[in-house]
Amino acid sequence: MMITLVMLGLFLSGTLAWYAEYKKPDTAKWIALVAVLTISLAFVVSLTASSLDYSSLQLLTRVSWIAVFNIEFALAVDYLSIILILLTLVLAFICVLVSWREITSQVGFYYFNLLATVAGIIGVFTAVDLFLFFFFWEVMLLPMTALIAIWGHENRHFAAIKFFIFTQVSSVLMLIAIIAMAYWHFAQTGRVSFFYQDWLALNIPLQHAKFAMLGFFIAFAVKLPSVPVHSWLPDAHTQAPTAGSVLLAGVLLKTGAYGLIRFVVELFPLASEWFAPMAAMLAVISVLYGAKMAFAQQDFKRLVAYSSISHMGFVMLALFSFNALAYQGAIITIVAHGLSSAALFSLAGMLYVRIHSRNLRDMGGLWQSAPRMGGFALAFAAAAFGLPGLANFVGEFLSLVGAFHRFPLFVIFAAIGLIGSAIYGMVLFQSSFQGPMQKPVMDLSLRELTVMLSLFLPLLIIGLYPNMVLQHVEQTPQGAKVHVAGSSSMDSQNRKGGE
Amino acid sequence: MDTEMIFALTPLLLVAFGIVLQLLLIAWRRSQYMILGLTIWVLLCALAANASLFSQEAIQVTRLLKVDSYGAFALALVALSALVVCFVSKQVFRRFTEVHDEYYVLLLLVVLGAGTLIFSDHFASLFLGFELLSIALVGLVGYLREEQHAVETGFKYLILSASASSFMLLGIAFIYSQTGSLSFPVEQIGPMHGNHFHLLGVLLLFVGIAFKLSLVPFHFWTPDVYQGAPTPITMLLATVSKVAIFVVLIKVWLGQQYFANGQLLQLVSVVAVLSMLIGNILALQQQNIKRLLGYSSIAHMGYLLIVLVVVSSKSFDFIWQTALFYLAAYALASLSIFVALVVYTAGSGDEQDIEMDSWQGLFWHKPLLSALIIMALLSLAGIPLSMGFIGKFYLLSYATQAGLWELIAALIIGSGISLFYYLRLIFVLFSSSYEAPKLRSYSYANYLLVVLLAITGLTLGLYPNVISALLISL
Repeated sequence: MMITLVMLGLFLSGTLAWYAEYKKPDTAKWIALVAVLTISLAFVVSLTASSLDYSSLQLLTRVSWIAVFNIEFALAVDYLSIILILLTLVLAFICVLVSWREITSQVGFYYFNLLATVAGIIGVFTAVDLFLFFFFWEVMLLPMTALIAIWGHENRHFAAIKFFIFTQVSSVLMLIAIIAMAYWHFAQTGRVSFFYQDWLALNIPLQHAKFAMLGFFIAFAVKLPSVPVHSWLPDAHTQAPTAGSVLLAGVLLKTGAYGLIRFVVELFPLASEWFAPMAAMLAVISVLYGAKMAFAQQDFKRLVAYSSISHMGFVMLALFSFNALAYQGAIITIVAHGLSSAALFSLAGMLYVRIHSRNLRDMGGLWQSAPRMGGFALAFAAAAFGLPGLANFVGEFLSLVGAFHRFPLFVIFAAIGLIGSAIYGMVLFQSSFQGPMQKPVMDLSLRELTVMLSLFLPLLIIGLYPNMVLQHVEQTPQGAKVHVAGSSSMDSQNRKGGE
Repeated sequence: MDTEMIFALTPLLLVAFGIVLQLLLIAWRRSQYMILGLTIWVLLCALAANASLFSQEAIQVTRLLKVDSYGAFALALVALSALVVCFVSKQVFRRFTEVHDEYYVLLLLVVLGAGTLIFSDHFASLFLGFELLSIALVGLVGYLREEQHAVETGFKYLILSASASSFMLLGIAFIYSQTGSLSFPVEQIGPMHGNHFHLLGVLLLFVGIAFKLSLVPFHFWTPDVYQGAPTPITMLLATVSKVAIFVVLIKVWLGQQYFANGQLLQLVSVVAVLSMLIGNILALQQQNIKRLLGYSSIAHMGYLLIVLVVVSSKSFDFIWQTALFYLAAYALASLSIFVALVVYTAGSGDEQDIEMDSWQGLFWHKPLLSALIIMALLSLAGIPLSMGFIGKFYLLSYATQAGLWELIAALIIGSGISLFYYLRLIFVLFSSSYEAPKLRSYSYANYLLVVLLAITGLTLGLYPNVISALLISL
């Protein structure tokens, strides 16, 4: 019930904001802010008050939706979803704040779309009926596309169409995999089912599972994004308004990672095992390619966008090495990258408001007039290249250590990506804040300071005391357990074959 | 003919009787409002009579017709579409002082033809319905004879549909020469292996039907006729004609067991793939909205053709459900967008020249109308929140179960291409226009129609179980 109310609350307050803006200008942002804060508070309170054990999936709602296909409205959460929902809510708060002055046209409709996107993303993180999951997966795209297409920068229509088509076409592949799974369930039990926990019990032959796994994998790889299908990301990030970029980098990419954990690895342990070397290779290519491309950019937002590709590569590498340590690293990286890239995009937005350019050549020497901004820029750039003491370091370190057992060679190459990230991080900071002063700008206002601080503090806290997150994800995902069983049986088979 | 048969035929009989009443009314007094009222009333009566057929077992009415519940659902779709067409026609004719009674007679004739097609169980009734539909439509397509494109469009449609009919007639003759029977149901499976005459006959029959469904390579008339016909008639072409002809196609296909022939299945697959791809590619460059919808209809009929690739006779029921759900979703989306077009121009008759760009920034001035357009476009593109998505889900479910991977691939590519133009159109609605265009405010009735269509679309998109459960109970 709780999650349903959160989503409904976000959606309704979005509608209210839209309506209120018609009646009285300048009310929409206040409504959005109050709604996000209240809903977050209510969510946290209801979490602490509930006595459920979230270390495994806890079913919250299960109602029949399309009875003919046995499709249900089923929501469940565990610590993984809770962490991601909290990240989403924090970023929703940031989004409202960074849009405060930036959005001047169609303000009401803007906040409606913003809150609807957030509601859709929360749906993605909690749906356990696969049809419902797909529904949310698509529905969150619509307001997101609207954010890019209506309030974006000069080339927004192209970017929005590209973003939409990439995700839509790849997700149809996932839909086919979902349908195929439902009918395999029918073939095995005589009942069509889209329910996640029913599927876990399925016994799918490997040659079928490979195709289904690929269908899911492609959809998630596009969202993550991984290298051959990443090209929508730089355009979408660059053209989106600041809040759009924050949402895209902060949580939309994470839906891809979430899908890999929840569905690809857990539903198809053996098929993922089979695909792991390929996935790890794509991940390493993403890490290196993203870092290389980030270094070559002149556009502030484009640079951060390419760096996202690089960082999400670490996540994919960690997830496909089926190791508890790497898994924990992936979760920390997801959270840390969500916060740090959101911060960098917010900075880009603040700079754009001041100098009306995203080009690094138009910046330079900003430190002298805006030292506080410079300080935060340095801190977040340092977070991005993995300075110890900040969360990103913990995540990437754990990912690499965990993955090393399985893919030593790949990990060595991926570690080079860390050096790359230091290079582009410094390029970003030096060319914008150091060097000769081009023109003086205003320093951070109180609102902007709030944004920066509320992103920086969690990074620092998780960086210093990562157990805060890790204690909840100590257990390896179910898939990893299954994997251990699967691989040991394979090992024993091999051994038997050897004897 | 006993009472049970008459009961089963009531909807069609009511429409036929309505046509006679219309003629009498015309002889007595010519009035735009009276004839409109009569037509709507006849359609409502037919709908009510039709509703009782939903729970009925299939009844053979003479050898020509067979009234079954799938047909009843299709007839309901046809009648509802015709009702919306009536409402819209009123808009279009408001600017004429001349009274257009004949228009409504032709409209009911189209419905009668469609009904005959839907219930036909015999090649004779198929041809009868086909001709009734075509000839009445020819009259309607060129109806506004003073309009710029009227003569061209009317002639194009007349000549092409006449040749389609003659192909079809020849095909029926060939089939009859080989089987000696004109009824749809056949006894033995596996007709015409090696029998080229029979195969040719089926091919010609398919050509005739493909013309009407505007499948590639018989699609050339579609954009011109869609653009040139009065908008209510374009609606009729997109909904009533497509629904009726597709339903009869499934009846022939399943009844005569053409699916047992591998060559025919291959042919249908090729036509389906070509229609999906070519329809969508040609739509990419269109600026004119009516032409664009014409091309997109080619692609949609291509998607729907997937259900004809039957691999097991166990799936007949699911084929019917898929086809009917998809047709319902397609009809609703088409109706919505054409209604929006007419409301936008307030029936001034210049719909055929509406370019994409003239909708710039419409969302900020007419949010409700734009919401309807967006719902319709999302439905056509098959994106969730809309009925079209569930329709696509049905199609993909069918194709996945049957293992038709090539067709699925074509569908994915086709719908990927289609996103370009649907999204472009949606973005145009949201773009900022420099000056507020001079938009006429719409009347109370229009407002009601727009709201009704939008709410229906959204409700059925979010809770499709209403239709799905109905279809499964048929």
